[in-house]
Amino acid sequence: MNSQQKSEKHIRGGSTVAEYLLTIPSFVWLCIFFLVPTILVFAIAFRTADPFGGIDSGWTLETIANVLRADYVSVFWRTIWVSCVVTAICLLLGIPVGYWIAQQNPKYRYWYLLAVIIPLWTNFLIRIFAWRVLLHPEGFLRRTLLWLGLIPEDLFLLNNMGAVIIVTVYTCLPFAILPIYAAAEKFNFSLIEAARDLGASRFYAFRSIFLPGIKRGIITAILVVFIPAMGSYAIPDLVGGADGELLGNKIAIRASANRNLPEAAALAALLSLIITVPVLVAFLKQKRVFRIITNLRRSAGDSTK
Amino acid sequence: MKIYKIISTAAIALAALMLWGCGPSKPILNVYMWSDYIDPELVQDFEKAHNCKVVIDIFDSNESMYAKLKAGGSGYDVILPTTYMAKIMSDQKMIDNLDHAKLPNLKYISKSYLNDLALDKQMKYSVPYMIGYTCVAYNKEKLGEIENSWNIFGNEALKGRMTLLNDLRETIGAALFFQGKSMNTTDDASLEAAKQQVIKWKKNLAKFDNEVYKVGIQSGEFLVVQGYSGDLFQVLDETPALAYMCPKEGISMSCDDWVIPTTAKNKDLAYAFINFVCDPKNAAKNMEFTCYSSPIPEARQYVSEENKNHPGMFIPDDLYKRGELIRDLGEDNAKYIKIWDEIKLSQ
Repeated sequence: MNSQQKSEKHIRGGSTVAEYLLTIPSFVWLCIFFLVPTILVFAIAFRTADPFGGIDSGWTLETIANVLRADYVSVFWRTIWVSCVVTAICLLLGIPVGYWIAQQNPKYRYWYLLAVIIPLWTNFLIRIFAWRVLLHPEGFLRRTLLWLGLIPEDLFLLNNMGAVIIVTVYTCLPFAILPIYAAAEKFNFSLIEAARDLGASRFYAFRSIFLPGIKRGIITAILVVFIPAMGSYAIPDLVGGADGELLGNKIAIRASANRNLPEAAALAALLSLIITVPVLVAFLKQKRVFRIITNLRRSAGDSTK
Repeated sequence: MKIYKIISTAAIALAALMLWGCGPSKPILNVYMWSDYIDPELVQDFEKAHNCKVVIDIFDSNESMYAKLKAGGSGYDVILPTTYMAKIMSDQKMIDNLDHAKLPNLKYISKSYLNDLALDKQMKYSVPYMIGYTCVAYNKEKLGEIENSWNIFGNEALKGRMTLLNDLRETIGAALFFQGKSMNTTDDASLEAAKQQVIKWKKNLAKFDNEVYKVGIQSGEFLVVQGYSGDLFQVLDETPALAYMCPKEGISMSCDDWVIPTTAKNKDLAYAFINFVCDPKNAAKNMEFTCYSSPIPEARQYVSEENKNHPGMFIPDDLYKRGELIRDLGEDNAKYIKIWDEIKLSQ
């Protein structure tokens, strides 16, 4: 009973002095290198810009009003839209792969995982340039597709939104597969067999037993794909077309060529706010899960008394 | 690439630190400039001649250099900003007016450059170092000879195989030239017309790009690209299938200028250094090292035979007449930024 009370206390978030002490280094680190810069970004968004690229001494709300105007909104929507498509594709590809790897013989499992991870050993930019070679207008892939008559003569595989989505999915996919696999590995597959025995179809069992079972893996996968995709800068710059500018590119241009740091900061601040939404939702959901578990345990404890 | 510059900057900073640690009592000249922009042999020659140590610190954009100085960065004796930024720094009293008595080699600087192009025609606060220009490279093997005009970007047959720079002043400037205007205009009607022109061109572009166009034109991905002369001539030297043209309507040129900040500690050495790089023999060495053009005509006799007619190193005089330097427009920069945003958003 005593130990159970203790574990309940843990779940509710209580902790001992030693635990606080242990978190101090990482807490200080996060304060200095994450919290302070983030606050600075938010603060600069309210400063006035001097015409030479510096930050003036005044305060203004104009920059914020400026970044909410119509033409930015379309860039925001484009960025959100692309990130959602990328996240959806990563899940569609990541869940079956995670499911499959988790069901393999443990002896070989790590080889499959290694195959997922190995591409990450190559520099990110080099992999993007490799895609440029692959999708080249005179390249093997486009030539083959043309020869097979699958694409029209005037369709290029590179320098358009399609290329941005393909390459972003490619770079994010390992980060989607890993948490899904981690969740699937702990999943008790005999539950699916039980569902099948009780008459569920294969797909029904997958949907209503397996997917809820690896929910936390899926939530993590969504976060680690969606957030970097929202801030994506190099990929749209290198494989995107004349219409391919995303929010990351806008921020870069404002901060450098346009010499307007406050506007860059305002866009960055807005971007972090947009990203906070899914994180917060996920966080609250997890809290609810915790609460349900705690309540269950408590009622279980009550009934044994 | 930027990363490369950061690494080289870090390496140089580290080297500087180690040298500093050795504690030579020699005077130190601190230079703040672009990367790979001076022949290292010349730096050694200067060190020997003046019994000093030269420490070179690198910046990758005028804006970052300016921001660093504004934030209180000092300790530099010589800085090499682009012309428009030198003007801003002079207007803001961040740099000295130059004492010509200490710079006898200024007599070598091209009069036609100073009269036709320069912002600081009397060299009151700056001395020109290297000139580059923006031109167009194309795939001669596939396209044959093409008309010497910005109009090439209106050619629908090349749809999806051309790039313009992702730089608002250069690209809007090209459209302004094409319409017979100055690339520094602030006239609203001209800018609106230029906007419509770039939007028309945009439909034929693969992308606006500052980085991959070099590899792209080389590999045949792009057939026509607008680019910087230094970049393009490196590629052109390696790829015989390519050719270049300087559109007859006009081209943008840029020059980097030596200036001495008011905070400089070693001004005599700074003057000596500027005078040293203006020596025609040294200018010739630097041209062959960078592929850019020094505004010192006397240097031609010292470059090797195969480079005597190199279009990157020796800009034909008529180009000076067709060329224009990008000026800083102060508050009016906002006009360009606004239409650039509209161009990017247009469908």
